[in-house]
Amino acid sequence: MSVKVTRRKFLQTASLAAASIPLAKVVAAETGFVKNPFTPPGSFTGTQTVTGGVCEMCFWRCQLVGKVRDKKLVKLEGNPKSIDNGKSICARGNAGIKLLYDPDRLKFPLKNVGERGKPVWKQISWEEALDECGARLKAVQEKYGSHDIAMFPHGASAKYPMDFFEKVVGTHNVSEASFFQCRGIRDSAYMATFSVPPDESVDMANARAILLIGCHFGENVHVSHVKAYLKGLENGAKLVVVDPRYSASAAKSHIWVQIKPGTDTAFLLAVMNYLVEKDKYDKQFVAAHCVGFSQFKHGISHASLDWAARICDVPARQIQEVAELLAANAPNVSIHPGRHVSWYGNDFQRVRAQACLTAILGAIGVKGGFVKPKGVKVKAISWPKGEHGGEHNLRLLADLHHYSPPGTPTELIRDACISGKPYPIKGCVIWGQNPMQTIPNQQKTVAALKQMDFVMCVDIMPTDITMYADILLPEPCYLEKYDFIKTGTQWNFADKHQQYIAPRMPLVDAMFERRDGVWIMNEIAKRMGYEDKIPVASLEEKINKELAAVNLSIEQLKKEEGIHIQDGKDPYGVAEDLEVLLYSEDLEENGYPPIPTYIPVEEAPQGYSRLVYGRAPVHTFNRSQNNVWLHQAMPVNPVWLNDEIAGKMGLKEGDEVGLVNSDGITSSSRTVVKVTPGIRKDTVYMAHGYGSRNPLLTVGANAGVDDQELITRLAIDPETGCNGMRNNFVKLVKDGKVLDIPA
Amino acid sequence: MEKPSSPPAMADIFRFLAQSMRYPTAEWLNDHFWSVLLSFLDELQWHEEREALIGAKAGAADFLEDVQVEYTRLFINAIPHVAAAPYASVHSRGDGTLYGAIAEQTKKFYREKGFALVKENDLPDHIVYELEFSGLLAKDDPEGQKIFLTTLFTPWFEIFRGRVLEEAHHPYYKVVVNLIDFFTREEL
Ligand code: SF4
Repeated sequence: MSVKVTRRKFLQTASLAAASIPLAKVVAAETGFVKNPFTPPGSFTGTQTVTGGVCEMCFWRCQLVGKVRDKKLVKLEGNPKSIDNGKSICARGNAGIKLLYDPDRLKFPLKNVGERGKPVWKQISWEEALDECGARLKAVQEKYGSHDIAMFPHGASAKYPMDFFEKVVGTHNVSEASFFQCRGIRDSAYMATFSVPPDESVDMANARAILLIGCHFGENVHVSHVKAYLKGLENGAKLVVVDPRYSASAAKSHIWVQIKPGTDTAFLLAVMNYLVEKDKYDKQFVAAHCVGFSQFKHGISHASLDWAARICDVPARQIQEVAELLAANAPNVSIHPGRHVSWYGNDFQRVRAQACLTAILGAIGVKGGFVKPKGVKVKAISWPKGEHGGEHNLRLLADLHHYSPPGTPTELIRDACISGKPYPIKGCVIWGQNPMQTIPNQQKTVAALKQMDFVMCVDIMPTDITMYADILLPEPCYLEKYDFIKTGTQWNFADKHQQYIAPRMPLVDAMFERRDGVWIMNEIAKRMGYEDKIPVASLEEKINKELAAVNLSIEQLKKEEGIHIQDGKDPYGVAEDLEVLLYSEDLEENGYPPIPTYIPVEEAPQGYSRLVYGRAPVHTFNRSQNNVWLHQAMPVNPVWLNDEIAGKMGLKEGDEVGLVNSDGITSSSRTVVKVTPGIRKDTVYMAHGYGSRNPLLTVGANAGVDDQELITRLAIDPETGCNGMRNNFVKLVKDGKVLDIPA
Repeated sequence: MEKPSSPPAMADIFRFLAQSMRYPTAEWLNDHFWSVLLSFLDELQWHEEREALIGAKAGAADFLEDVQVEYTRLFINAIPHVAAAPYASVHSRGDGTLYGAIAEQTKKFYREKGFALVKENDLPDHIVYELEFSGLLAKDDPEGQKIFLTTLFTPWFEIFRGRVLEEAHHPYYKVVVNLIDFFTREEL
């Protein structure tokens, strides 16, 4: 632009005479300002402490306070009143501020005027967005039926919408990644053994020995859980870590079992068989509570130390050492149930073996064992459940996965979307989940989404999946709204027994046009003709009603600095009627192994290595990819490669590589090699949650490699229908050349 | 129809510039607004820019939607990324996030001049607010306006403008940021 007329000249001479109207008439009547007499600094420069925050950078939900200066959140800290995390929060918790003020966050309702996968976004009004969502979901429902709407929810804010679609609309096709690609197997396996979902309920702080199967605390951080783990170690607990990799936990262990991936069940069977053979199990507990001990004993009798040693590629005497250590410290032993357990497609059996091992050690309800905390129950208020039969339940129709967690296995939904059988699925609601990075085989996910009549997403960030939305709606994040009521007990059962109730309360007001899940769902429900079913008018009302059931209110909680604390109950002890099914008739009737059984997994083809993944301490999988602080703490996810193998391949620390899997899928981005003796020769490892391909994420896009992209071979756990994601094999690619991994 | 006659006041010009950076809707991005915008360009002798705008409008199936898509892509959420977030703190004296130090300084400056945001939780450093504020100072406190522009506005606006000029597909925002530059740059 060249200057033809100066500003001064323009201001002297311009008349804008050609315009149809005076300048002042085309501008908004009001500005965004009011006259406000200046108040000297002091009244607004002081920092206030706002209580009532509950973190959601991960699902652990530590209690927070916010330091707020002049409406701006400047710092997050643990709530000093908390008997859970206390004043401590982790790196991710601290970095919540960067999520709050991330310029890439979704701000307004958006409509895709381009195509799915290659969106062209346009801001629209809430009215227009809600009308379109309501009308198009209704159209799918009327044309095909309620079951033709699938939903992929995640997180606290998705629970109310999920209940709407399940209970009111009446679709079974709801699939939560937290179940089907994460912990559902664990919950189902413990339910099938002890009739309780285990959560992470082991009393590590008071244990004499702790057994971790793949858990890598230190890299996997949940504040009060890590506090309990470290307290246990500080008190002298012996730590056994079973992991192909020298993880942060392995580094603290007394015994590191560098197991061959996929063989953990064989290891556990050998430990149990040894304990039984040598009479080192808890006979009293078994006699009082276990069902089918003789069948169990007979069924695992083949699992000798040598048998397992060959399968697991670890010395027999090490397995024996582990068994002896557990027996010597029983019953005060924490056999950790794990959390993300969807690994190989044989996982139900492994987790059931963990539950059985816990039982034969008598490690239930005792100090250091499996102990459920006795917290307060606050019942969630939700939608009324309508009468919906099971005739469109894909799992029942397929007569598969009889131990499925709640909802429908993702694979069954996706297959129905693609094949149209047994019925088409044409509407899709994705709420807080990023199935592109949580569900293996992205090509299938894309195919499923492309054939939909309508796709809507609700999220706080433009994650990969949002590129496939027709309408994309912005939610406030956990720092800007009321939400989930967190309950629990003091973190260390050795301390005074207490319970707490901490509803999430906003630390600052929501910015832009973000709206919470209750408001959004209610508005869509009205447009779908379900106004009469709406259970609460607002999120605040919902929380208040829920709190009223325990004689509390938001107002009261504000007075109590965000956390209500009351006397608790002793969590130790075993219910007299506790039954542990070492042998399960029910499993047998449904065609599954009635006692824990090792099922071998596929071996890596020549030249390939098995890809395993895990957590990084500064990330919550893909959800924190775009967080500037966290990104800077760990910008890429190095691929761990055994040092001897790296030497043979001519690779050195820091070399840039891509990966290609045995299905020919090449990673879209690259990462660096970490050369280490701390990983088996047949395994490579990387942290999950990197390498987003959504360019809307200015920080996270293409930073590191997305392991999920390379997980194309699907293993399905037969009992639960959950995905196994560690049966994929990779080679490395350097400078365009594919390199064999000579394991 | 009421016709303009005397030269426009600086305050009105800033209000106009602020208006042109709001999310485009049929309510204001109408024929009247358009004719004022073209008159500006005419009297500034920005003939090329004027032609580009006329051409873009004439060739568009849905001109308003084109500008909305462009606004969304440039300033809200976009591909390849939020090309030019219209907030000072994303570009200046921070680490690329919203509500950085400059936003707080800006809010403080508003207060010192006796103004506060109607929506007090809004981010104070959005370009629309900063232009409106400049307009408010233009008449009674030109010295204050000058300080505001040189210390708080221009440093980030230059980066922002560069981004828009680089990333924009549609001529509308190129023209608008150049107009803003013309009326806010000190040396002109
Ligand atoms: S462990 Fe960290 S990220 Fe998780 S809730 Fe606690 S502070 Fe937040």
